[in-house]
Amino acid sequence: MPPAEILIEGLTQSCIYMTMAFGMVLVFSILGILNWTHGQLFMLGAFIVFYSTTAAGIPFPIGILLAGLVMAGIGILIKKFIIDRIKGELYIGVATLALIFALEGAASLLFTSDDRGLAIILPGVLNLGVVAISYQKMAVIIFTLIVMTAMYFVLNHTKVGLAIRAVAQQPVAASLYGISTERLSLIVMGIGCALAAMAGAIMAPLYPINPFIGRTPMIMALLAIVIGGLGSLTGAIVGGLILGFLHSVIAYYISYLSEVVLFGLIILILLVRPQGLFGASAK
Amino acid sequence: MRYFFKTIHLIDYKNIVPKTVIGLFIILILLIPVFTRNVVTLSTLIMTGIWAVAAMGFTLVLRTGQFSLGQSAFMALGGYASAILTAQMGLPFWPSFLVSGLVSGLIALLVGMVVLRVGGIYFSIITLALGEIVRIIALQWEPLTRGSRGIIASAPPPIILGGHELVNFNASLAPYFYFMICLVAVTGLVFWRIGESRLGRTFAGTALNPVLAEHQGIYLMKYRVIAFTVAGVFTGYAGALYTHFLQVITPMVFGLWQSIQIMIMSIVGGIGSLVGGPIVGSILLYNLGEYLSRLDTPGLQSFLFGSVVVIVVMFLPQGAGLVNLWERFWNKVVWREEEYEPDEPED
Amino acid sequence: MKKSFFSATILMITVMVIGMFSMCGTAVAEEPIIINVAIISPLSGPAGPWGQVGLDVYEAWLELFNKEGFRVNGKLYNFKNINYDSLNTPEGGAACAKRAIFEDKVKFIVGHWDTSFLAVSAISNPAKVILIARNGNEAVGGGAYNPEKMPYVVFGTPSHEKFLSDIKAIVAAYPNYKRIGISDSTLGKGVGWDYVDRDLTAAGIRFHHEWYPFGTQDYSPYITRFKEAGCDVIYGAGDVLAAMMITKQRWDMGLKYIKTGTAGGLLDPKMYIDVSGYDASQGFIAQHANPLDYKKTKVNPKFIKMFREVQDMVSKKQGKPFNYTAWTDWGCAHMQILAQAMMKAGSVDDPDKIMNAIRGGTFDTMAGKYTMSGAKTYGSPIVFGNPGCISIIKGNKEVYLSENPWKPIP
Repeated sequence: MPPAEILIEGLTQSCIYMTMAFGMVLVFSILGILNWTHGQLFMLGAFIVFYSTTAAGIPFPIGILLAGLVMAGIGILIKKFIIDRIKGELYIGVATLALIFALEGAASLLFTSDDRGLAIILPGVLNLGVVAISYQKMAVIIFTLIVMTAMYFVLNHTKVGLAIRAVAQQPVAASLYGISTERLSLIVMGIGCALAAMAGAIMAPLYPINPFIGRTPMIMALLAIVIGGLGSLTGAIVGGLILGFLHSVIAYYISYLSEVVLFGLIILILLVRPQGLFGASAK
Repeated sequence: MRYFFKTIHLIDYKNIVPKTVIGLFIILILLIPVFTRNVVTLSTLIMTGIWAVAAMGFTLVLRTGQFSLGQSAFMALGGYASAILTAQMGLPFWPSFLVSGLVSGLIALLVGMVVLRVGGIYFSIITLALGEIVRIIALQWEPLTRGSRGIIASAPPPIILGGHELVNFNASLAPYFYFMICLVAVTGLVFWRIGESRLGRTFAGTALNPVLAEHQGIYLMKYRVIAFTVAGVFTGYAGALYTHFLQVITPMVFGLWQSIQIMIMSIVGGIGSLVGGPIVGSILLYNLGEYLSRLDTPGLQSFLFGSVVVIVVMFLPQGAGLVNLWERFWNKVVWREEEYEPDEPED
Repeated sequence: MKKSFFSATILMITVMVIGMFSMCGTAVAEEPIIINVAIISPLSGPAGPWGQVGLDVYEAWLELFNKEGFRVNGKLYNFKNINYDSLNTPEGGAACAKRAIFEDKVKFIVGHWDTSFLAVSAISNPAKVILIARNGNEAVGGGAYNPEKMPYVVFGTPSHEKFLSDIKAIVAAYPNYKRIGISDSTLGKGVGWDYVDRDLTAAGIRFHHEWYPFGTQDYSPYITRFKEAGCDVIYGAGDVLAAMMITKQRWDMGLKYIKTGTAGGLLDPKMYIDVSGYDASQGFIAQHANPLDYKKTKVNPKFIKMFREVQDMVSKKQGKPFNYTAWTDWGCAHMQILAQAMMKAGSVDDPDKIMNAIRGGTFDTMAGKYTMSGAKTYGSPIVFGNPGCISIIKGNKEVYLSENPWKPIP
């Protein structure tokens, strides 16, 4: 059994991957596309919370919400002005991949590529004797719990959630029942991008902030939703948990070789169960 | 993934480009080293050709409806195979170069046989993971690959014919240029033949409607593996040439971002054509990147590169790449002009 | 007799007058001849800040350096830098080198440090362009460096030896240490570490190695492994992001007794405090290349004055205090080596003569006197005499901690 600190750090990582992956799956299940720029929205979220707390003096929790709102707006703009104007999933995929470069470039131009940090938010460590946990990590875990509960509530107990689930299952039938797929996809895009941005914002105190921080979480979230099962929200959560924990725990036992084991394991999971752990069936 | 193909119509070259234009174009390209000795221009062109071959491989795999995110891994495999055989084991260059593509193709075959039955987005992710694994193995297997220090792969030896030095790779870049042209030509020819043949139509069939194709008695796996392996062979050669041209290979040379670059080149160029699209895409995008890297403001280059690609994708005609623009131009502008000239005899 | 004396006097006077006039002419109207040097470093992308931090400094330093210039065979020369963005990839570096050598006709590349070393040297060597770089993992014996195939490569910054000096300086500053943990990303793995291990063992220093995959975010497994190996210092040889995250995460894990650091100059103490937290970053060890603070290394007073002026000029240009000091032993030192070697060789365009002057020579630079070992180490002209000075973060400032000058090999 590895020390508790590693498990806590692994859980923190998992929380970020989970939030990212959840947004990506949501967008995928409604729009049918993978939004490759999710990592860059994550990065922009971190920058928004950085500037709103340091330059504008806005409290951190409001900063997170602000990041979510702003990036939801940008996500909707991307959906309306770029994704909607392109025909064919393949070309949408290329456009979102190219947006990675465009957004990273824009961030380097606007904010320079220097490293920044927000460690002043919630400093301090709670030492329980057996285990030490910093307030920032607690904030990440609590935040993820809140977001997941809220998402659960929205999806299961509201009209929008019902519509989302309906469209994800049967888009044609849902539109026959009077659901505007167009409007719903905008809402979902907004929610997905807001989740990515808020994940970036909540982790801003934990890791350095620069225009390139989005790459690793994006790939990890992608792997998480694929091993969890594309299109499955439970799968995204479980996939995020597996990746976050596994990476840390394996690294504790075999150090840097953990990378090989991790990717080998992902290939193995996909070969044994191509539809992912929670996927319904291979498409 | 199969939905991609509903909007694509495949280009038939014979109708849109007359042979004289192609011939003139090829002669012009072959004469480039005569006109210019500029190292920078030539090496940019060589790199363009290498990436074009890789993009062709991607397009071939895409023809079967599979979306590979690990094409640069095959470049790395070919490059490492050639570098290890020549630098580490001391074998002569030409056999090693020939073997390098086969090594990469063999690995593509083995991987494809296991992985391609998954298909779809899962195949993309597995190839992504494969690319990472190749990179990590190159980094960790130090006795063979020298880890992060990289291998110095020397230039091809001079070709000596009857005691007279015919071609010297160290003297100028022209030999590399013709080497690249040969590679692009061979790859283009093979891919063009595949595209024209029954095999190519089967590829397109498996992509357009896998279920129907399977019901017609087409064994999907077989064709997917064939495409993946052929692409692996030529991508491996591209990687080997890349390695011997840069004269160094390290684990950092090929990664996910290079795979994405290959993919963008192929798709922006146009996947309706197996040869023309990737070449057009790589010529435009590699040179755009090359030009942008001269800009002084950090960040501006990647911003402009991304924006240009997004804009190109947005304003391209539905489901078409840049080569299709040529087709449209030819059909709408050039054909019409010829119609109004009754004196010109038609062939 | 008298007539000849008279004519001789006239002749002498004419010669003197002509000589004086010609001297006056040169003194008044002499235009320095400009020698271009290429600086190939990543200016964009994740490694961008480390390339950009040099630009303003080199600009300011060259302005001062060119006021005086240097004389070879009676002619006055100046350096001019041309910057290229290598994107931190071998392909990008090779493209830059080709542009520099074949388009801009540059004869010298200085201040090189990124991952494109092999690709750049594959182009610069056949073109007989002198490349002054650092000796990373590629350079040490058994690495990719080959003195016969790369006769025009100079290792003007001994990063490898500097790292050993750092460790020794840490030991000198904290003699009661238990064990020093050395962390590096897998990108840095290679035979270089065999030499580090050999030298550290020979010096009787207790240490422990850990490698992490490049781009890791969660360092708790590695920190725990260090802790279980009994380390109380973790000194990073990899990227600075990793060092900052290790600093933060060991603090969050409650392991406050572990000291952390990184083998690189402090960019700005504020950055480390922002990322790792104020308390966690106290005592963060880093390389210190501030000639004002050296206690054991002697630096020419002229250069100390120059250092002060450069810091002032850059601070004025950027509009905020410029704290980065580790530039002194990079490009500027390389250019000083180059200028002095040219003077010694009596030539500015014969690379063989200049290389002969560099091998085994001693050079006076911003970071102290450098002695080039010639064939005594890895067969290459490696620099010795680097200060190997370290500092820590105290409050919001960077403070001198200790120093271990690397001695020339006899």
